[in-house]
Amino acid sequence: MANILIEIQRFNPETDDKPFMQTYEVSEEILKGMTIFDALAYIKDKIDPTLTYRAFCRSAICGSCAMKINERAKLACKEQILFHVRNGKVVIKPLENAKIIRDLAVDVDEALEKLKKLKPWLEADPKKVPDSIKSESLVLPEEFAHYDHMTDCILCMACYGMCSAEKADSNYAGPFQFTKALRFIKDSRDGVDIDERVQLCVDNGLWDCVQCQMCLAACPKGITPADDIQELRRYAIASGDDSMGAKRATTWFRDVFATGQIDKFDLPVNAKGDTKAREEMEKEFRERGIPEERFRPQPFDGIEGLRKFIRKVEEEVN
Amino acid sequence: MAYDKKIGIYPGCCFQGADEHNYDLILDFLDKMEVEGVLLERAACCGGGVIDESNKTVTYALNARNIAIAEKMGVDLYTPCNTCYMVIAKSKIALDNDPEMKEKVNKILAEEGLEYKGEATIYHTLNFLRDFVGLETYKKKITRKLEGVKVAPYYGCHVLSPEEISLDDPENPTLLKEILEPCGVEIIEGYQDENTCCGHHAGYTNPDIRQKLANKPLDGAAEAGADVLVTPCPLCHKSMDAVGENEPVLQLTQIINVACGLSSEKAYWDLNKKKVGMSFSSCAC
Repeated sequence: MANILIEIQRFNPETDDKPFMQTYEVSEEILKGMTIFDALAYIKDKIDPTLTYRAFCRSAICGSCAMKINERAKLACKEQILFHVRNGKVVIKPLENAKIIRDLAVDVDEALEKLKKLKPWLEADPKKVPDSIKSESLVLPEEFAHYDHMTDCILCMACYGMCSAEKADSNYAGPFQFTKALRFIKDSRDGVDIDERVQLCVDNGLWDCVQCQMCLAACPKGITPADDIQELRRYAIASGDDSMGAKRATTWFRDVFATGQIDKFDLPVNAKGDTKAREEMEKEFRERGIPEERFRPQPFDGIEGLRKFIRKVEEEVN
Repeated sequence: MAYDKKIGIYPGCCFQGADEHNYDLILDFLDKMEVEGVLLERAACCGGGVIDESNKTVTYALNARNIAIAEKMGVDLYTPCNTCYMVIAKSKIALDNDPEMKEKVNKILAEEGLEYKGEATIYHTLNFLRDFVGLETYKKKITRKLEGVKVAPYYGCHVLSPEEISLDDPENPTLLKEILEPCGVEIIEGYQDENTCCGHHAGYTNPDIRQKLANKPLDGAAEAGADVLVTPCPLCHKSMDAVGENEPVLQLTQIINVACGLSSEKAYWDLNKKKVGMSFSSCAC
């Protein structure tokens, strides 16, 4: 059997100027049946005791061992190493968007501090939660179903470590943080005003998410932060938020209803009051000889059918 | 032009206004692949991930309708846009896994004489070339090589994530490279931020984020010595071409059309904000 190359990013901030890759060669025979976690333990035990990583439960429940496997965040304990061999090797790096403590271990404190800003706890609604231990605080199965999957979050930071908005702006709260915020909005026992919770989300970057879908791919529990962020944005619009993103969403829906397409010519004005961008577009259109009727999308023949369809979907399918 | 093979062109916003030439680009591309492109008339916006912010069910229903239009015409659906592909493919999965929603939507669709069956395949340029045309057939369409050009392939997010709609192995995608190599170009892989989002969808939510993200893959590609970054996605292209500062960007179909014999003008290279300033020794364009 062949040897497998395990390339691991190393970095000791006390001695290294910058991270570097180190390759360990282990036979396929030994790696058979091993998780990435097992393989790291094998390397630490048999080859290089200086290799540093964080891991604990081996059962995909403690959330300690998230790292990038071939550039995609995964839990080391959940992944069979041989499933991840590409061109004879597996490349392992620490999560992005977090300070490296050493090698594959990253500092989670900043991400957790951001979570705290979103009030990730339940403040009991006295109408739902009795103040006596003699009676129960009932959550019906159909109520729990609204946020059941969100409670599976193990704070492993896999989504956070792949987040594009986070790469651009470290003030952005982060994907799992917003899922947690939505989880409490959905909890029937929670007494915090929904608008207050939504405002906390808006204040901490709700509209910064770029919907890249990386968090959906990363979550080892099948939680869907990007979808949850879309739902939080629905709450924000409903609560009267008038940020640029909220305006984009309302004008987008209105345009599609009117013509079947978004109106990219008026979008800069409608979303952010940017008349200059529209003027520049108009100048370009005229220079290129694009006729005025093609500046904006025109309703197609039979547009009434689409409009009726959208209205009926809103009324009958939701 | 009429060919034996037909595909339905889904009219997304990437064919609109300043980008209307993208439609001609796609018609030329399909022509070069000897596939007849038929416009899916009366199809509507996929939702772009934004209709979801008003009503997610409407997104699913709009795409049931879009797919139903293709199915009525007896064709599969093709879009060059990563986001249209992702949103439509995700909607299809949601509809196929929710018979109750599918039935309710179909009841309303019947009023327009449509029915969503879920039988049409959703194609993007990447799987269109691999599965509809076939890579071997595609290679035979290439008539000249763009030798000496260093190209950084950039997939964009929505053809690799989320995993259930991924068009290639997200941990080691090779399809874009397999499509570009026959054009004679030198591939630059493993550059910094090759998997980082272009930021397009922050354009009207937080433009600063868009600006920062769009530059990251471009800077990585430039640092690795690439002459040009090539992406299949017209939105990634637009974002990077508009805000990127150094590296030029081409759409995949822009480079394929030239490799298949069209002039660079006919492949709309001159409409890119950042001009591709290289000479192709064996290119007659």
